[in-house]
This record gives sequence, structure tokens and C-alpha cells, in this order.
Amino acid sequence: MIIEVSHLKKRYGSLLAVDDLSFSVEKGEVFGLLGPNGSGKTTAINCMLSLLSYESGDIKIFGKEMRPDAYDIKKDIGVVMQNVAIFPELSVYENIDYFCGLYITDKKTRKTLVEEAIAFTGLHDFRKFLPRKLSGGLLRRLNIACGIAHKPKLIFLDEPTVAVDPQSRNKILEGILALRDRGSTIVYTSHYMEEVETICSRILILDKGKAVATGTKEQLKAMISLGMKITFDAQDLTREQLQGLEALPGITEVQQKGSVISLKSKEENGSLERILAYLKDQNIAYNNIHSEMPTLNDVFLEITGKELRD
Amino acid sequence: MFRHIFSYRFKKLLRTKEMIFWTLAFPILLSIFFHMAFQNLDAAETFQTIPTGVLADEAYEDHAFLKEVLLEVSKGSTPLLQVFEGSQEELARLLEEGTIRGYLTAGDPISLTVRGTGMSENILRLFLEELNEQAHVMKTVQEKDPASVPRLLTAIEESSALLVEKEKDTAAPSQILNYFYSLIAMACMYGAFFGSDEITDIEAHISSRAARIQVAPLHKLKAFLSSSLASYVVLMINTSLLLLFLRFVLGIDFGPRVGYLILTTFMGTFTGLTFGAFISTLVKKNENMKSAVIVAVTMAGSFLSGMMYAPMKYIVYDKAPVVFYLNPVNLITDSFFSLYYYSSFTRYAQNMGMLLLLSILFSLGSYTQLRRRRYASI
Repeated sequence: MIIEVSHLKKRYGSLLAVDDLSFSVEKGEVFGLLGPNGSGKTTAINCMLSLLSYESGDIKIFGKEMRPDAYDIKKDIGVVMQNVAIFPELSVYENIDYFCGLYITDKKTRKTLVEEAIAFTGLHDFRKFLPRKLSGGLLRRLNIACGIAHKPKLIFLDEPTVAVDPQSRNKILEGILALRDRGSTIVYTSHYMEEVETICSRILILDKGKAVATGTKEQLKAMISLGMKITFDAQDLTREQLQGLEALPGITEVQQKGSVISLKSKEENGSLERILAYLKDQNIAYNNIHSEMPTLNDVFLEITGKELRD
Repeated sequence: MFRHIFSYRFKKLLRTKEMIFWTLAFPILLSIFFHMAFQNLDAAETFQTIPTGVLADEAYEDHAFLKEVLLEVSKGSTPLLQVFEGSQEELARLLEEGTIRGYLTAGDPISLTVRGTGMSENILRLFLEELNEQAHVMKTVQEKDPASVPRLLTAIEESSALLVEKEKDTAAPSQILNYFYSLIAMACMYGAFFGSDEITDIEAHISSRAARIQVAPLHKLKAFLSSSLASYVVLMINTSLLLLFLRFVLGIDFGPRVGYLILTTFMGTFTGLTFGAFISTLVKKNENMKSAVIVAVTMAGSFLSGMMYAPMKYIVYDKAPVVFYLNPVNLITDSFFSLYYYSSFTRYAQNMGMLLLLSILFSLGSYTQLRRRRYASI
């Protein structure tokens, strides 16, 4: 086991930021901490890194108790902060070399590692640039390079894609999977469910500091009754027609918002065909019909009663 | 690791334009302004003998040393003092009328009464301090080794003559010098920006950079010390460049004790650095607030040490001596001042001692925060 957190409790005054949190992370995992802003993801990470004091609980990393002076543990950890944590006065190369040098003392080895980190994050053309000349996406990549250059066994990535354009975001996500393939274990926090779904092998959903669900994305989706969501546009549906839709086999809920009709089905297969047949049978004109598989947002919604981005 | 942090910190600081501006460019610009404003002051101010009273009471009659020195400083074509002996009432009236600029009262120590805060009063104060210091030496020698008294008297006479010459020769520059002394002291205290920056980059609850450094496998205090040393070296370079500019470009004569002058600026920058670190640990607000506090405290200290109005230093000395001794800008200024004007090192050592004490207190204050290994909130 790479990380073992048991019964972690952290308060900010009267606010319980992390409430009896327990989980473990295995070697080679990309473990996702998913939750809305203020759910306690960053606080949990800062406790794990021994930056924050906490009321109670145990944190073990690599099987040893994590403490501020546990240098033998810290040397194998890499951290990518939520905010870009670099020196604006140092160039791209110098920033990576500086932070790598806090872990690696041998100059030759460090040089190789820095070059590898630059190549890995695609910053080769910008190595002499000062950070102020980089775009938001490149800055984020520099932030990542500074955290991973020393090739840590465990990497904490705290919302590394905030305020990043889609192209850079994809590059970052690909990079994270490459880090996993290189042998690193990754703890990834985000409030973007799509990212977590894409890259995480296991996910812990946090709300108000509490773990509300843990598992693979398939396991999490299996926890809820929703199998599929079908939406279409139709004008002037009668009450009887809406009731007829609700009476179809597998349909659990029908909602009408203006001309948009949303149906929830507990079955993944067959529902769409039955709905289309009913619409034809009733001679209902429709358009924009589409079906969606349940997302982690649906899981979060069903468990907590609110959206992830609330 | 120490070299790694030091070298990158050094590089980083040299590229931090705002801090280099405040500790080097701004003092140089201000010194040019002072030089332009005061360059005609030398010609305007020529020394004039200071009419001074002495209370002719029993204590004065018994104070052979005071009599001897007053006689010595009244000699020559342009003596330092023109001495009037009289009763308390007479002297008070003469002082009120402006006939005399102050009067001395024999005793242990000898005291001085003045009304104004002008150049003559400043010279009288200097004269009094030197007088009391020598009177104390004389008393001690008389008690412990009476045989050495004549030799000592000769030495004191020579020293008094030197003081007279110095006051006469440098009366005008002394006022100008005080402005430049305060300016150097201000530059030293602006080292506080560096100290504040050091805390910002080591305390994880202040910056993400610091958090990243703190999760690395290195001792927090060792990292702090190596980067602070880089700050100190940059500051020493800056103040040395400022001194070189003042001496060789503006032609300011700081007297013969250049080595001590440099030592004082290095001590001053150390106080500035530790002061900034202390302020940064104390002020929990953002960087702008910390900078505002540093500028406000330094400018207030500079004002109280006489940078904008030279006699302010003496007003503070008279009305609020605690502020005089606790104001680091003033301690630095007064160290320069005593190096230039006093033959003895007593006052200089006192000032340097106070600066060291303040630096230690600031360091201890910062350490109480720095030793935290985990934070309550980030």
C-alpha cells in the first residue's frame, strides 16, 4: 500500500473540513479525489503532505508514518500545487533545476532529469523563457515539470488543469497517464468529473469533508438506479402522453421543462427503442433526441442531492 | 544543497527589480537629489563662535577639569566657545534673550541647557558628550592612578583641541552629512524587503512556492539560512555600491574611519533583513500590506533620525530617548555620526550593540514562527 489514511479529522475553527476520512491508495493507481470546491480535497492532501496539522487520524505513506521531518518519505514524493508555484525571476530551465535540486544533489543526474522533464512536458522550445512569457497552459506544464522532475514514486496533483485551455488540458491528462505508465502512483484531485472519469482507476467522492463513495467509476455508477438518461424536444405534449411515457417499461422518471422532455431509465438497453416506438405511435413530432450514460455528476447528485459544480 | 539554494536565490534576487530599486536605485536617486539641494550649503555656512554660559556656582569652582577645558576651547582667533560665567538667573535671562545659545552646569555629569535645535545647539551637545566622557575618565584615573593625571590632562587638551578643530572645520558638512547618513541608514533598513521575501518563500501558509519547498526533503531552517545568506550578500553589495557612489561620484567625505563605516552598513543591513523577516511573520496580510508596513516604519524611522529635518534627531533625543535608542534607522545614523565626530568608540559601540540586540530580538521573533513544522491553515 502506498498511502493509508485512517480516520483523518481536520478543523478550521468551527468548520470541520475533513471528517473521519479513511482510504488507501495502491501502487500504480491513479487515485482520484473528486468533489466540489470546498469539499476538503486540498485540505486532505495538505494533511497527507504534513503541511497542515490535524485533530486526529493516522497517515502512512510507503508504510511509514508521515511527519514533517520524514525526509526518507518526502524524497520519493512529488507535488503539483493547485496554484502555479514557481519563481517568476527564473527561466523555465532554472525553475525546474531549482526544484529538482531540492531532491537530487548530483549535478549530472539532475541535468539528465531536468532535460527529461522538459521533454516530457513539451517545454523544450521555452527552456530559456521567463514564466511571464508563457501562456496559462505552458505555465501549468512548467508547474508540473517542477513537481515531477526528480521522478518521484508518488505524485500529488492538485487540480493541475484549472484555467487551462482544452488542448493543454488534454496534453496534461496524457502526461499524467504517461507518469503512471512510468511507474508512479498518482493522487489526482479535481472538480472536473470528466477528467477524473478519464484517467482515474479509483475514485473517492468527497462532500463537506466526508467520503461519500469510493470505487472504480463502474462501481460508483452501479451504486445508483440510473441506467440511462434520454432527452428530446417536443411541443404540446398532453398529460396523458407524458403519463404514457412514464408507464413504459424501465422508465423511472419523466420531466418536462418547456419543450425539453427528460426521461430516466434504469435499463441501459431497449429504453430508447421503446420511447421512439411510443412517439411514432402517438404521432408526436420530436427532434434533438439523444441518450446519455450516467456520469459521476449523476452519482454525486443522487448521493448528495446537489450537482458537483454547485 | 546549501550552495544550490544559495546560488539560485542569489540569481533570483539580482533579477528582482523592485527590491534592487528600493535598496540601490532609490537611495542613489535620493542622494543625487540631496547633493543637488545641498551643494551650496557649504559656502553658505561658515563657522561662528558659540556664545555659551557656565553656571558660576560652587561646583564649577571645584571642577578644575571643566575650567581647564573651557579655557582651552575659548582660545584662538575663532574659538569654539565664548564663555560667559553667571548666576542661574543671569544665564536664564541671557538664554531667553538669545545672547547665549546654552549654558553648562558643573556636576557629575555636567549638564547643558539649550532652547533651540539649531546647528550651534547640536555642536554644544556634541561638546557636552565628549566633555562628560573625558570627565569620567579623569575621575577614574584620579582615584586609581593619580600619578598619571598630568599625562592625561595633556592628552585631553590635545583631544579638546582636535574637537575644536573638527567642529570648526566640519560645521557645515556635519549638517549635510546627517542627511546622507540617514539615507544610508534608510537603504540598510530597506533590506527588510529581502527579509520579508525570505519568509514568503519559506512559510507554506504564505505562498505555494514555500509549500513546494517545504514538502521537499530538506530542513526548513537550513533552507531559510542558506537563502537568507544570499539575501545578505546581495544587500552588502548594494550598500557597498551606494557608499562607493556617494564617496566617488558625489564626493561625500565620510572621514577616515571607512572600515568602521562599512562595518556599520553591514550591521545595518543585517538589522534590516531581520526586521523584514520579523514584520513578515507578524503581519498576516498579503505582500502589499507587508511592504506598506516596511516602507511606513522605515520612513518614520528615517524622519525621526533627521533625514527630512536634521534637528529632529535631537528633538527625539530630548523628548523621547527610548524612541531614539529603539529606532534602528537612528542607531545606524548615530553610529556614522559618532564615528565621524567622536574620538572615542563608546557611543559607537553602544549603537552597534543596540543594533545587534534588535537584530537578535527580530531573529528570535521570526524563529518562534519559523520553527512551526505544520500549519493550522494554508
